[in-house]
Amino acid sequence: MKPHLVTAAILTSLALVMTACSGGVTSLDPQSSQTGTASEGALTVGTANFSENVILGHLYAGVLKAKGIDATVKENLGSREIIVPALQGGDIDALPEYQGSLLQYLDKNAKQSAAEEVQAALGPVLPKGLKVLPYAAAENKDVYVVTKETAAKYSLKTLDDLKAHSAELVFGGPAEDKTRFVGLVGLKEVYGAEFKEFKALDAGGPLTRGALEGGDIQVANLFSTDVTIVNNGWVVLEDPKKLVPAQHVVPLINESKASATVVAALAVLNDKLTTDELTKLDAKVDNDKEDPDAVALEWLKEQGLAS
Amino acid sequence: MGQLIADVARWFADGTRWSGPEGIVQRLLEHLQYSLLSTVVAVLIALPIGLLIGHTGKGAFLAINLASFGRALPTVGVVILVFLVSGLNLWPVYVALVVLAIPVIVTNTYAGMAAVDHDVRDAARGTGLNGWQVLFQVELPLAVPLILNGVRLAVVQVVATATIAAYISFGGFGRYVFDGFAQNDLAQVFGGAVLIAVLAITLDLALSGLQRALTPRGLALQRRRSTR
Repeated sequence: MKPHLVTAAILTSLALVMTACSGGVTSLDPQSSQTGTASEGALTVGTANFSENVILGHLYAGVLKAKGIDATVKENLGSREIIVPALQGGDIDALPEYQGSLLQYLDKNAKQSAAEEVQAALGPVLPKGLKVLPYAAAENKDVYVVTKETAAKYSLKTLDDLKAHSAELVFGGPAEDKTRFVGLVGLKEVYGAEFKEFKALDAGGPLTRGALEGGDIQVANLFSTDVTIVNNGWVVLEDPKKLVPAQHVVPLINESKASATVVAALAVLNDKLTTDELTKLDAKVDNDKEDPDAVALEWLKEQGLAS
Repeated sequence: MGQLIADVARWFADGTRWSGPEGIVQRLLEHLQYSLLSTVVAVLIALPIGLLIGHTGKGAFLAINLASFGRALPTVGVVILVFLVSGLNLWPVYVALVVLAIPVIVTNTYAGMAAVDHDVRDAARGTGLNGWQVLFQVELPLAVPLILNGVRLAVVQVVATATIAAYISFGGFGRYVFDGFAQNDLAQVFGGAVLIAVLAITLDLALSGLQRALTPRGLALQRRRSTR
């Protein structure tokens, strides 16, 4: 089989599995189903329903366990609209979040974009009793990607270079890109890029990737921890004017659980967790079908953060 | 809820919504194009298969099971599978919709043929008709009501599912549903859903008229008598 056919087969089976699983059943970690009495040092990490967030949850729990805290993970709790209230209600104690998205969720009019500014803006708008800890180097944000050939042909390096050629280029991404600021609106206002056509595809999924690979689109909206970018040698266009808000991974935690030990343990983890490392972890789960908890533990051991 | 209904009403009332390259009229034409072309192709494939197995009585088990298998295929999966081979064009949409429409037409055609009275078939042969004549002059006319039933079911399914064209960047009423969700604009989502439902019901009613017109008079009389 040709390599792209193999990818095709994998993606298709993935798509079929995803359709099959979309019934809304939440699979909870067997450990977490025993919701025993919460002892002083117990802490429950919740995660959203996508693999990267589940990995992050297990990384948090892993470093905390190494410090003697009885940490458990509740996986796949759903979207932010469900998990943040669960955090406020005390069903879970901590949650791996993403700066920009969390800020947007709490304050629709937030305009901050640089990492420190977003972090500072989060403090005042967080619900009472919750706080964010220092953020990780790792970041999963919207990126605008072209193939190596396109980059060479039009000498594209940053989003600023787009405006000279955007009338010849087709842009593909999720349907919301058409009207939201971090999308076509911002690309036009901030970088002066107006594309020949917009094709509404999926959010960093097989359609957008396939269309970029097949040349149906020239500029694709993908996510920075997508391993296919590296694997295909695609070029991520730089964003010097900070159109896309920072999306560093940041622990959102119940204040009462943020003991010095917890804060210190997560800070050490966040120092070592870069975008490249997180991309590799994602690939192990998404492409190689390894278990998120095993992937997390193995990485923590490699980094000397757990034994 | 009342607010939403008002929003949807306002969505429809906006005059600019109806014209232009993204207007309702254009989306209707696209939706009809995807749906009708797929249904026609599905009929061209499914009808001969259904007639053949109904006439000969052979291969029914295989055909019906293959048809059921076709029904079990998730349409999104088919779209992505074909997309990965064909690239970004309308092939994935057409293939998925044809695959969706074939089973119900095959099974209904077969059922219509199987329901033809044995005595009628024997009598036809007895009067000297050959196999083809029996098929086209006796069995097919008698099976038409059930065959059209299958086509009606297929059309309703296909019109509802043609929404999926928007999933891979194309038009049709699905554009409103997908864009509405993406933009958190519920009025647009419901507007699109209403348009799809109205189109499905309209086509179904039109076909039911056709069905009545094509039902052999003897069959209609017989049915009227038996319901009396």
